[in-house]
Amino acid sequence: MRDAFSDSIVRLAKKDPNVLLLTGDHGYALFDDFRKECPAQYINAGIAEQNMVGMAAGLARAGFRPIVYGLSAFVPIRVVEQIKLDIAHDELPVILIGDGAGFVYSYLGTSHQSTEDIACTRAIPNLSVYSPADRFELTACMDLAYQSKASVYLRMGKSDRGDVHKGALQAKVGRLLEVKPGQSGDVAFIATGSLVRTAMVIAADFYPNAALWSVPFIKPIDSQQVATICAQNRAVVVLEEHSVLGGLGSVITEIACELAPVRILRVGVKDRFSDHCGSYEYLLKEHGLDRQAIEQRVHDFFKETAL
Amino acid sequence: MNASAPNFSAKALRKTVLDMAYVGSAVHIGCAFSIIELLAVLYRNHLRYPDNDPLAANRDYLVLSKGHGVMAQYACMRELGWLHNEAFTGYFADGSLLKGLSDSRIPGMEVTSGSLGHGFSVGVGMAMGAKLRSTEQKTYVLVGDGEINEGPIWEGALFAAQHALKNFMVIIDENGFQAMGKTEEVLNLGNIQSKFESFGFDAVTIDGHDEISIDNAITHFWQSNSTAPKALIAKTIKGKGVPFMEHNNIWHYTRLDQEAYTKALEAVAGNTL
Repeated sequence: MRDAFSDSIVRLAKKDPNVLLLTGDHGYALFDDFRKECPAQYINAGIAEQNMVGMAAGLARAGFRPIVYGLSAFVPIRVVEQIKLDIAHDELPVILIGDGAGFVYSYLGTSHQSTEDIACTRAIPNLSVYSPADRFELTACMDLAYQSKASVYLRMGKSDRGDVHKGALQAKVGRLLEVKPGQSGDVAFIATGSLVRTAMVIAADFYPNAALWSVPFIKPIDSQQVATICAQNRAVVVLEEHSVLGGLGSVITEIACELAPVRILRVGVKDRFSDHCGSYEYLLKEHGLDRQAIEQRVHDFFKETAL
Repeated sequence: MNASAPNFSAKALRKTVLDMAYVGSAVHIGCAFSIIELLAVLYRNHLRYPDNDPLAANRDYLVLSKGHGVMAQYACMRELGWLHNEAFTGYFADGSLLKGLSDSRIPGMEVTSGSLGHGFSVGVGMAMGAKLRSTEQKTYVLVGDGEINEGPIWEGALFAAQHALKNFMVIIDENGFQAMGKTEEVLNLGNIQSKFESFGFDAVTIDGHDEISIDNAITHFWQSNSTAPKALIAKTIKGKGVPFMEHNNIWHYTRLDQEAYTKALEAVAGNTL
């Protein structure tokens, strides 16, 4: 996914000289190609994220197409007000990249972990929130963010979980992507980012009739499509490497309770910080987001909803 | 629309501010009065808006980062014919176009401010954009001295110097007060000029109510061959122009009753500035 990101920004910048990459002194090797191919379009703004995001707004006002890169613990969390006032208020075409979302920085602790970024951004008017699951979704998200000229926050989580899709996508902003078709009246998995892969494995092993949908566009989202999925299934499981408060689980339940009430299990971070450090897999275990823990919760939930 | 030639006399601008503050029962009068002469000189002599279009692509940028002084800018925009008289007579009525703090959706205002420390960075971005495009556009950012408590100001100052943004000028309205008291008693700023100089700016301190000094300082900055960004420190008086408001911080918050309004109008009319 990181290669796809590098390829995307180089491709967009070579096509459009107004594309500028701003980084808050992060992303060293990630930008090797960009710095080689488009050195005049690369700005290291220093360890000064608030100024960087404000400047991106000024550059956008002057006709540029800034792509702002930071770790998702900092962009958007540290700069929520700059995003709200300087960018989103005027619908400026700025793409904000929050890398390392979730528990990617598993050894570094709470300062570098980010499980509240979706909740904080999706309440900001005019701001789109994207959350790709693999390299194909990443490329589609970058292209659509650029083409739409919208203010976009793009969340990049664990990037080496493997492909979800078989090839390049014909994605449309707001539409959920079907990863695996299911049978009507059964159950559906709706997931975003890193946990799409986990849902794939669990569905393949235990729930052959279940549908699996990937959600690269948290906002805007096609409410009717979500309602249809909810209406066609007896239960829905939503999975995300993000807090259960305000993330994709909230999005789906908000829509479902108005348009198509159904039992929903929200699998995500349970309103808590990490207690310990360790490998990424360890952190997932600590938060009950490893495959085995999710399998058990899903099993129990489906047993309960089948009654 | 004001079809006649703009009148940027400090007296006329202060009267407009008083009229709108009275009709809207608005606060922040002192914040507006300290920047009247600064804005008058900028609009009269320096800011370039091709075809008098506040959205012209190649305009100079004036960023009112201290959004609390917004009534002073409204008064200037009225003189340019960018705002209708109804926007003033209906100030703060339900559905009012003009808000109590600057709003970028109004052509002529580049940022939405009031939350402080934002406009500086946006202005640095605009100046960087003009530099990348090699245009002649200038960016002026007007900040309050209280506002430079905010961290992003200093982040942006580092960047402006690092990238030699010679087309960028910050104007600091040093009126010595912020919301809750004197700046020196809240977070003492010390010598603002030397602070900006130490960040790599060319800086000068002037009397912010002396229009000739303001004009000369700005002209001198742009004539200089230096590649450094500029800082104009304007020593001002909060509430300038109305003796009972001057240096009196209650006019950050206080609304005009009829008596105060009448007295203030008399003071402004008699003011020979």
